[in-house]
Amino acid sequence: MTQVTAGPEQPPAPPAPPEKPAWRRPPVGPILLLWLGFTIIGVLFALYVPAHLMGVAASPTMHELEATVTAFSVAAAPVAALVWAIMLYSLIAWRQKGNERPPDNAPPIRDNTRTDAVWLVTSGALCLFLLIWGLVVVAPHGPAVLLPDQPTQGQVVAPLRVGVTGNQWTWDFTYPDNGGIQTEELVLPVNRPVVFEVSSKDVIHSFWIVQMGIKVDANPGETTNASVTPDRLGTYTVRCAELCGLYHSYMQTPVRVVSTADFIAWLRASGGSA
Amino acid sequence: MTTSAVAGEARVTGSPGGGVMRRLNMFTGIIFGVVLAVVGYFVANALLPDPEEGSHKSNQVWLITFFLWAVGFMVGVGAFTGPFRWLAGRDQSVDDELYLAGKDQGVWRYFKFTTDHKVVGIQYLVTVMTMLAIGGTLAMVIRTNLLRPGSKFVSPVIYNEVVGLHGIIMIIATIIMVTGPFGNFILPIMIGARDMAFPRLNALSYWFLFATLPVMLSAFFLGGIPTGWSAYAPLSEQGQPGMDSFLVAILLFAVSSALSGVNITTTAVTMRARGMTWTRTPIFVFGTVTSVMLGVIAFPMFMAAMVLLGMDRALGTTFYVASGGGSPWLYSNLFWLMGHPEVYVILLPAFIAILELAPVFTRKPLFSFTMAILGLGGVVGLSLFVWAHHMFIAGWAPALNAPFMVTTELISIPTGLLFLVLLGTIWRGNIWMRLPMMAAYMLLWNFIIGGITGIYLSDVPIDEAMHGSLFVTAHFHYTLLGGGLTGAMGAFAYWFPKMTGRMLNERYGSIGFWTAQIGFNVTFLSMFIVGLRGQPRRVADYATTFDVNNRISSISAYFIGLGMLIFLYAVIHSWRSGEIAPANPWGGKTLEWQVPTPVPLENFAVLPVVTSDFYGYSENGHARRGAHAAEPEAEPAPVASGHGGDGPQVIDLPAAEAAAPAATGEDGETR
Repeated sequence: MTQVTAGPEQPPAPPAPPEKPAWRRPPVGPILLLWLGFTIIGVLFALYVPAHLMGVAASPTMHELEATVTAFSVAAAPVAALVWAIMLYSLIAWRQKGNERPPDNAPPIRDNTRTDAVWLVTSGALCLFLLIWGLVVVAPHGPAVLLPDQPTQGQVVAPLRVGVTGNQWTWDFTYPDNGGIQTEELVLPVNRPVVFEVSSKDVIHSFWIVQMGIKVDANPGETTNASVTPDRLGTYTVRCAELCGLYHSYMQTPVRVVSTADFIAWLRASGGSA
Repeated sequence: MTTSAVAGEARVTGSPGGGVMRRLNMFTGIIFGVVLAVVGYFVANALLPDPEEGSHKSNQVWLITFFLWAVGFMVGVGAFTGPFRWLAGRDQSVDDELYLAGKDQGVWRYFKFTTDHKVVGIQYLVTVMTMLAIGGTLAMVIRTNLLRPGSKFVSPVIYNEVVGLHGIIMIIATIIMVTGPFGNFILPIMIGARDMAFPRLNALSYWFLFATLPVMLSAFFLGGIPTGWSAYAPLSEQGQPGMDSFLVAILLFAVSSALSGVNITTTAVTMRARGMTWTRTPIFVFGTVTSVMLGVIAFPMFMAAMVLLGMDRALGTTFYVASGGGSPWLYSNLFWLMGHPEVYVILLPAFIAILELAPVFTRKPLFSFTMAILGLGGVVGLSLFVWAHHMFIAGWAPALNAPFMVTTELISIPTGLLFLVLLGTIWRGNIWMRLPMMAAYMLLWNFIIGGITGIYLSDVPIDEAMHGSLFVTAHFHYTLLGGGLTGAMGAFAYWFPKMTGRMLNERYGSIGFWTAQIGFNVTFLSMFIVGLRGQPRRVADYATTFDVNNRISSISAYFIGLGMLIFLYAVIHSWRSGEIAPANPWGGKTLEWQVPTPVPLENFAVLPVVTSDFYGYSENGHARRGAHAAEPEAEPAPVASGHGGDGPQVIDLPAAEAAAPAATGEDGETR
């Protein structure tokens, strides 16, 4: 009879791990389907609705802006879809019937490191995408508010300078390089870059050309700049976007984008020079 | 205090009959405050020199009047009886402290300077509900004026006043809506304490808030504020004396919240029960403490902004006036240094309250406490570095736009972690769809929309189009109302049985809740549309092209009002005659559910000793769905509260100390 007297006892061989019981297998299938469905709806919505709502684009800035809104919406769709999918599935599969307290037999999941890691990495990647789009794609030829001293690329024509002054509750415009005329009417030539030099006589206003997608505050005692190239003929809207007192709602004026010839004619008629 | 009571020294107990302090209450406060204010108004008018130009004198007079109201009210309500007694060498006795804590005074204790944190919590609750009602009514006025273009339901002057006061009343109400009622009533019990670290300071915070309200509402009678709640300079300098009401109210409120903030923080840091290490502390404590500390850092900026504004208005300085060498951008920066952290002060307690109640209504542990802490910490930390995203198009510092865009977009990551925790807690839970859990679901729905639209605004080119439009208004209503207020309503439904002793009528409560939520979503989704299409915010009128969506917003806004009224009816009806609540109707594991309802004056007969965290739902039994038959669950309490037995022992306190009143916590004793 063998005697096991010497040496440490060997621990018994661990049993083979049992197959995971039903409650441990995540319901990936149905949730994935729901997520896919919501994502498709979301992406379709994102591709058509926001840009359509933003309407006519009267400058490359606005075109890029609508493209950005669309891109962000498309990127957001799967995120929202995931939340909706889990919410909906939970209401279908895990919701307890009746008003009584359910039993305490749900899986006691304290944490799941892999889920945490995937979530962090994915949200980080999405954030990086947004940042790259915002800083790199748009910035070099984007609105002056991002990188104010960047010269616009491919500049052959000197920008048209327009002085904008907000005062409670109208907008006044001057054309300093065109004879210094002062007018309450904003007229711009198509396809020529414009630099607005914006200020205020009294309180803070905000100069917003809706369809061109540019906006900059009008501050008393300071001059701020916004630049844009109108690329579409038509009549658009300037609105004030900072509460400036009693008639803030009415502080709006049309801006007409006309052909270069019409613009010169208008300048002459207003007492300026081309 | 305690030691002297224990040692049995004879102490002077104040004048016979209990002294002046037993005769002071809210009404004496109001009388004293009004009298002092009126006297001050006339004396200041008479004594101050007439200015040669401008209206500085009227501003000076009003500032003095409001300041005297505040001083008079606080003295009259009895806030300083403790220090007065101490200065006079007649320190308060044990009986005095118990009296101050509201012992044996019935309902009357809610109308006095009562130090019991539970009384202060209820006072905050009723005040918050009142403020929400006033702010909500103002919102109905706003939407009625916007029902159709060209409508003059109210004049443009009144409209601007209404917009501004709606904003500031809602901001103040939402800042305190979770930390006030529940941070006060629930948090000390939740950590196993008998009261806050500084009970008198606690009552002081509340009565400062109470003093703030008449000052803020007086703006209505003094020409209102023309600026919206953000009070941008130099428009704020043009304003009528209503602007002075606003700025004094802000100063009072900032003091109130600073005091409250340091009180809550000290309580949580020093007065947790024995054995409650930080990893065993409920997430609600973390959320409340970080939010109030964020407020303590941020609100003084608002105070500074208002002090400078007061000086510009009353003394003719030119901090914000360009022609005098100042700059409106000084104001904008100070304001937004407060304004951005402030929105997280509003949101985080509500979100964290939902995280606190989710395990109870899914019967499983909170998913990833670590991620919750990281998310909370990330949001709080980053929130101090994003303020200039409100100023992307101000022209102040265009070179800083890119860095602020980076920090703002980064905040989406910790916010996402909070989503992860909530979704993970729901994952495979046994979901108990009572009213608190309905709020959790609506928080998810509303905040995903609010959060995503915030990301749009964080992108500078998009912000160039959307700043100052109704897109922004819809975004922040989704986060603050859809996320914040919804979470607060869930917290209210959750803790209602403990605070009132009654069960909230869920039938009417749910009808009200869902009516308001559906109305809310339709109102603000429609508002996103007009924002994208180019309608500015804070406008009394709009171009006819925006007609349809404004009408939709206005009509569904009435449903928000209707829903909240139904909810209010449910609350009042249940509070007065609802079903009596058991001590632990939800089967919660946190300490507040282990004390009886109504909660005794000193919360615990014996202070608990904590041996595990409070999220151990479904960890004790061996039953699993689909496997073995459910065994009756052995639920070892996470709190060792017995006498004797094995394991962690309750420290037997000296009998006298155990019986001593809680209001002596100011000594900073840790038991």
